[in-house]
Amino acid sequence: MFLQLNFQQIFSEIFIIIGASLLFLIDRFVKFRSYAFIFTLFLLLFLIVALFLTPFGKFTNSFSVDFYSATIKLFLYVGTLFIVFVFYHFLKNHPPLNYGEIYGLVLFSLLGAIIAVSALDLVTMYLGIELLSIPVYFLIAANGRYLKASPEGALKYFIVGCLSSVFFWLAIGVFYYLFGTFDLKNIFLNLNTVSQKGILLFGLLALLTAFSIKMALVPFHMWGPDAYQAAPIPVTAFLAGIVKLAALSALVKVLVIAFSPLRFDLPNFLIPIVLLTILIGNVLAIKQDDLIRMLAYSSIAHAGYAFLGILSAEFYGYAFAIYYMVVYLFTITGTFAILSYFCQVNRAYLSIPNLSGLSKALPSISLFLLIFLFSLAGVPPTAGFMAKFYVFLSLVKGQQVLVGILALLFSVIGAYPYLRVLKIMYMDPLPQTPRKASYGLSFIIPTYFTVFIVIILGLFPNLIAEFIQKTLFLYLSLLYFHF
Amino acid sequence: MGADFGLLSLILWFPLIGIILLFFIDRKKNITIKTIALIVTLIDFFLSLYLLYFFNPNVPSFQFVEKKNWIPFLNSYYHLGVDGISILFIPLATLTTLLCILISWYSIKEKVKEFYLALLFTNIAMVGVFLALDLLLFYFFWEAILIPMYLIIGIWGGPRRIYSTLKFFLYTFFGSVFLLIAIIYIYHLHGTFDYQLLISKNYSFAVEKLLFLGFLLAFAVKVPMWPVHTWLPDAHTEAPTAGSVILAGILIKMGGYGMVRFLLPLFPNASQYFIPLILILSVIAIVYAGLACLWQDDLKRLIAYSSVSHMGFVTLGIFSLNPVAIKGAILQMINHGIVTGALFMCVGVIYDRTHTRAINYYGGLASTFPLYAAFFMVFTLASIGLPGTNGFIGEFLILLGTFLSNKVMAALAASGVIIGAAYMLYLYKRVFFEKPKSHLYGLEPMKLAELAAIIPMVFFVFLIGLYPKYFLDLMTSSVNQVLLYFQ
Repeated sequence: MFLQLNFQQIFSEIFIIIGASLLFLIDRFVKFRSYAFIFTLFLLLFLIVALFLTPFGKFTNSFSVDFYSATIKLFLYVGTLFIVFVFYHFLKNHPPLNYGEIYGLVLFSLLGAIIAVSALDLVTMYLGIELLSIPVYFLIAANGRYLKASPEGALKYFIVGCLSSVFFWLAIGVFYYLFGTFDLKNIFLNLNTVSQKGILLFGLLALLTAFSIKMALVPFHMWGPDAYQAAPIPVTAFLAGIVKLAALSALVKVLVIAFSPLRFDLPNFLIPIVLLTILIGNVLAIKQDDLIRMLAYSSIAHAGYAFLGILSAEFYGYAFAIYYMVVYLFTITGTFAILSYFCQVNRAYLSIPNLSGLSKALPSISLFLLIFLFSLAGVPPTAGFMAKFYVFLSLVKGQQVLVGILALLFSVIGAYPYLRVLKIMYMDPLPQTPRKASYGLSFIIPTYFTVFIVIILGLFPNLIAEFIQKTLFLYLSLLYFHF
Repeated sequence: MGADFGLLSLILWFPLIGIILLFFIDRKKNITIKTIALIVTLIDFFLSLYLLYFFNPNVPSFQFVEKKNWIPFLNSYYHLGVDGISILFIPLATLTTLLCILISWYSIKEKVKEFYLALLFTNIAMVGVFLALDLLLFYFFWEAILIPMYLIIGIWGGPRRIYSTLKFFLYTFFGSVFLLIAIIYIYHLHGTFDYQLLISKNYSFAVEKLLFLGFLLAFAVKVPMWPVHTWLPDAHTEAPTAGSVILAGILIKMGGYGMVRFLLPLFPNASQYFIPLILILSVIAIVYAGLACLWQDDLKRLIAYSSVSHMGFVTLGIFSLNPVAIKGAILQMINHGIVTGALFMCVGVIYDRTHTRAINYYGGLASTFPLYAAFFMVFTLASIGLPGTNGFIGEFLILLGTFLSNKVMAALAASGVIIGAAYMLYLYKRVFFEKPKSHLYGLEPMKLAELAAIIPMVFFVFLIGLYPKYFLDLMTSSVNQVLLYFQ
């Protein structure tokens, strides 16, 4: 079989590899510590521009630049751009961690995310997901200087990550046994020829297990809070935002391309998992005193909300699941930018009771955190409400009204942890005025932009939601109807 | 008419100017902050009076309609309009915010900027609820109001404010969940959020009942109806004066308004089916909350329970399903907003001086604080429903209308009037008569801002009480329109 290698399709990926490798090579020789940040920033800006210049097409049969991957890439780049600012802000205040390799690892991880969402066959997708995860293990462990438990969290994530790989390979093996191919489109074309539906569903279950480990769905959620707490703050944002968005987008790609006729079978085993994820995430978040740990549990619940879109078994439910994750990405990036600022002022502020009365000392930052937390709780006029609304809408359209009611009731429980933080910040007395810390552009850019995005998407949600939804439809119709 | 120049949008979003201005003002300049908030809300109030002036009471349908694409993919519109049912709530909402700013002029001393930001934000959400003709937009404003109210009760409230505000938030959030599901389900069935299209649609009876219950739960929590009223005494009691006034004046009216606007026209069959349930719950609320008032030893808690009782009259009137009672119910909502809002302001005035709400702390205020006693008397009598005050008109119309459709319920509800007289006069006796207590001498006289907040309320008490025809005429044609769905 003749393989066509269109290198123009992957020149931005090549740039990422070169750039990240360069950071590893020259880091010890550069005295100017901010160089890596500036380098990464320009690389990302270049990638965003390159995104609009790259023609659609395939590099071999397993990697394609198309509507879907380009759209997701845009969100990944923009999200990473904000997170890189948070990295800069955080690392500036934690000099022992301030090495160019950190940015290099982030870039490699981002590359993994891009490969995962651009992949057209399961093996390439697996490689992407692995490349997405492996740098993150190191990034989590990098925090060992400040937190003794940090390597423990990294190791936990590493071990469950291996488990995820095992399930992924199991799924690939089952599909290869059934279809004799790794290619997503060929799997779809051969789907009707399969007589052993039980084995097929088993393979699908293994695939979902692999992804639910990456997304920390119940019962594979245990690593989440430990890893989140162990990681440096920007890495946590990366883990909660980018990794989850990439994993979900890859999963949606597999499901819509290869297994769309089976989408009505998915809810059978997903409903209890998703509802339990939302419930357990929300309930366990209630009692957490550590701010990051609380956000980690809430992150579990939010992955559950996104999966509600997949439960709906409708194509736009899938699109809205991605939209939910995009909104969550921006919200959580802003939240962690503020956490990074707290870290700069005083590490004690990462504990919720210590936030007491902080709104008096830091009024504008408290207001931003208020907006982000209400967005996470899903109260209008923030983006979080509209994202939830879209997901629930697709659920009802998919005839899952009861699931929708239960999930919404759980979201009432889920509002409490955020309200508690706000209560402590706004309604409790201020014990002592904290020392002032300067804001700096590296703090202002990610927070102000994400606040703006959260409010604008709350008022005009169709800006992105419709875009994602149309992308998915266009992508599917071009994939299947032009031959 | 001036229908094209976006008067409703102007009224709705005008406070946004204040919000943006306040963001750029140094938080130490309290006077500037208060003045800006005052001017913005004053202009907004005049704009709503302008709207009232140009409103044509003979048209049963919506006026000043604005319809623009909001979320085209969902077929959801930025759709505003007023009719006879909602027209009176707009000036009420803007007036309430205006007076809240006046009454908080001296009593809010810390986080002044945040307080006025929250008030202006509340104003937008309140007006939005009454203007929205798109179910999604309605829900948007309906929920958005929780954020500022959560903060207003929780930050500037009394000693148990945190418990109260969490209870308030979670209670109403819980109720709204069912409203959201019902709205989504309606959209699923008919593919639109547009109120004007939905009123002509039909549902199978089983679905209609479920949708009705979903809406009802959200509205009943807000109204609040017995037995989901328990958040209200806590929230009212612990909120700062302005918070109590907004809660009593507008927030709980949103529930009653929602019933007239959505429950009756959208689900006429289910409404008819559930009449006995709602009438019984209303009468229980009237009598139970009225009796509970007699036991209270806290000024604000007593008025809060009286709200539950008065709102029982409103739900009773709405579900009597005849034009007299519904008009009475709408008017009674306005009246209750004015009278109870004013009573909370009065309590706020005395609380700022003595820092206690315990009734037995007071006594003989009539001789030590005579002007204040006179104001309080007016509102007490209006709350009881003395002829000549606005309370009489509302309660009389409700009872009259209810008597036409259900005599037993009317008779039971009428006992609530007597209980009302009992608890209000008993309260007045305990606080204002008897021998003056020594610590109540030498109270600071009422300040200009306080007088400016209370005197307009006195004016409206007598205006509606003496000339209700103008207000009733405004709603006649729209109410008749609603009742057409029941024939």
